[in-house]
Amino acid sequence: MNQIVSIGTSHHVAPIDFREKLAFSEAQIIESLQHFRESDQVQEAVILSTCNRVEIYAVANAVRNADAAAKILAEFLSRYHQIGVESLKKWTYLHHNLETIRHLFRVTASLDSMVVGESQILGQVKEAYDASREAGGAGTILNRLFTKAFSVGKRIRSETTIATGAVSISYAAVELAKKIFNTLEGKTVAIVGAGEMSELTAKHLVSNGVSNVIVANRTYERAVKVAEKFNGTPLPYDSDLSFLIDADIVISSTDAPDYLIKRRPLAEVMRKRKHRYMFLIDIAVPRDIEPDVSKIDHAFLYNIDDLETVVASNLKDRQQEATRAEQIVTDEAKRFYDQLQIFQVNPTIKALHQQFREIADTELQACFYKTTLSDQQEAAVASMTQAIVKKLLHYPMQNLRCAVNDGDTDHGQYIQALQELFALDVNDDNSDM
Amino acid sequence: MINFLFLVTLLIYLAASIFQTLSLAISNRSEAAIIRPTIERVAFWGTSIGFAFLTLFIALWWLTQGHFPMTHWTDSTAFFAWAITLIYLIIVRLTHLRTLGSFVMPVAFIAILISYSFATHTAALPEPLQNYWLLAHTSLIFLGYAAFIAAFGFGLMYLIAERKIRKKTDTLLDNLLPSLGISDELGYRCTILGVILLTMGVIVGSLWTQYIRDVPWRWLDAKVISTLVTWFIYIAQIGLRQFWGWHGRRAAYAAILGFVAVLCTYVGVDLFLDSMHTYR
Repeated sequence: MNQIVSIGTSHHVAPIDFREKLAFSEAQIIESLQHFRESDQVQEAVILSTCNRVEIYAVANAVRNADAAAKILAEFLSRYHQIGVESLKKWTYLHHNLETIRHLFRVTASLDSMVVGESQILGQVKEAYDASREAGGAGTILNRLFTKAFSVGKRIRSETTIATGAVSISYAAVELAKKIFNTLEGKTVAIVGAGEMSELTAKHLVSNGVSNVIVANRTYERAVKVAEKFNGTPLPYDSDLSFLIDADIVISSTDAPDYLIKRRPLAEVMRKRKHRYMFLIDIAVPRDIEPDVSKIDHAFLYNIDDLETVVASNLKDRQQEATRAEQIVTDEAKRFYDQLQIFQVNPTIKALHQQFREIADTELQACFYKTTLSDQQEAAVASMTQAIVKKLLHYPMQNLRCAVNDGDTDHGQYIQALQELFALDVNDDNSDM
Repeated sequence: MINFLFLVTLLIYLAASIFQTLSLAISNRSEAAIIRPTIERVAFWGTSIGFAFLTLFIALWWLTQGHFPMTHWTDSTAFFAWAITLIYLIIVRLTHLRTLGSFVMPVAFIAILISYSFATHTAALPEPLQNYWLLAHTSLIFLGYAAFIAAFGFGLMYLIAERKIRKKTDTLLDNLLPSLGISDELGYRCTILGVILLTMGVIVGSLWTQYIRDVPWRWLDAKVISTLVTWFIYIAQIGLRQFWGWHGRRAAYAAILGFVAVLCTYVGVDLFLDSMHTYR
């Protein structure tokens, strides 16, 4: 019987120095998959290795139970990376069958990520799967499993809001800008002062379409320096704020003790720029922009606290949504597991049916050959034979299906017994369902 | 039969307006994320089906009356609702901004409700007015009004979105509302469209007067004057925007003012003032 198992470690359970030891390079992944294929202990495998997690998903069918399959993986990891079994036990987790499925679905839907709902992981899982498939690691079952994982991931992203709402200050600024301007294309961002946060925010704005960057600083040399990074225009700081006339977005983060941008001169600037919208972001403490500025028409002011509130409320929403997403994952994993069971049992059921029918057909032909029955009688005998075959198979089939759906009974033993008792030739790669 | 069709149309519009409003109003997050797409779909398809029924109804009415159904102001409201829905559907087609329906569909519903409530009114349309001039004149003006109502919807959306940005309350409602720049721009385009249609309608109307012999024409007609006032309000909006940069919040308020002017011209004049446009 096929056992789906996974072994892995992540930022939830292990420190970075352990994860580093366990990490696989691309070449190592190919090498390991080849090893699995040759060893014949593991039929299918996918290796996922990112900076936050290292996981191996595998299918083994020549083992007694899932524990035995997991042991193979653990031994492999310990041997390959030369890690003691003890630390492996301490820092890794093992999943069997339904749990493996659920775990993969959670990972792909980014419910297991450091920031719930982040979008990178889906791509990373896809890459890992593609690489493993090319290297001949993934087969019928893992193909199904990963395809399903991607669709569950997509479903969760569309049915819940775990992936919406900025969770960092700089992205919150970008999102707010998008709510104000009809497009960011062709807009101008002004960086007043300098600092890591303001440059990061400006960078995000530029990658979202903002095309011009202005840098203003009290010391002109510094303005030139920062402007070079963005291919922008350095401008000298001026107390009448004339450098802001072309600025649609203003990011201010100077260490000035007083307000640099005050209401009155800014109102004048707004008039000169024909009241086009201006989005002001004050990330300085103490603040650079007079709060009253927000009373000017078409000027929108957010300070660092406002942005942090936005981020906090988005994070809280994501957490709430995660509960709903978990429910979807649990349901989908159960459904997939059940389908997989039936999928695994089907070839045996089919083979058994076919064997019975073939015996009946052969015997019928022999019988018709020997006797002289009218067409009507032949038809009656034939249908009687079919009925007998059907009735003989009725209880075994019903009970087998019950065992599959039940989940508790080890139907693998049933299947094995059937295959051996009836000498069935079951092709495992039967992929129709 | 035709009355039953009217009732069905009315009820579909009621449902569509409720769902349109609901799609915007239901609380943010939690289960809303699952229900919302369904509500939005029901709202949009309700609107489309309602529009199809209304088209059929107006066509039948036209056939039975023998001329464009525009005898009394109360039956013109059915056509008014039709024009509003048409403009809305065109906007959705071009911009995918279904949210606009939350603001314009209730207006369309009220228009149909008025028309339905007074459906028994049968004023006779003077013979000389029963021609295609009537069709061109009234439908151009009503389509213009419908464009103004879309502009009004964008104005409201702008004001709500701006309020949210200023109050710094980040809710899902913001995600449904377009950005300030988009509401502003689309509102302006609707205003221009409305002005063009209204102007054309007025020109057709004034040309028409040259051909009417049996109905006395006077220039100081209440409807004519109030239409000119409305027209002027919108022309002023465009001018102020072009030359003094009046956009954003001011444009949104102006769109609401224009909406009030349209209502006064359309309903107010017929109810309280004497005009040859009322055909009593």
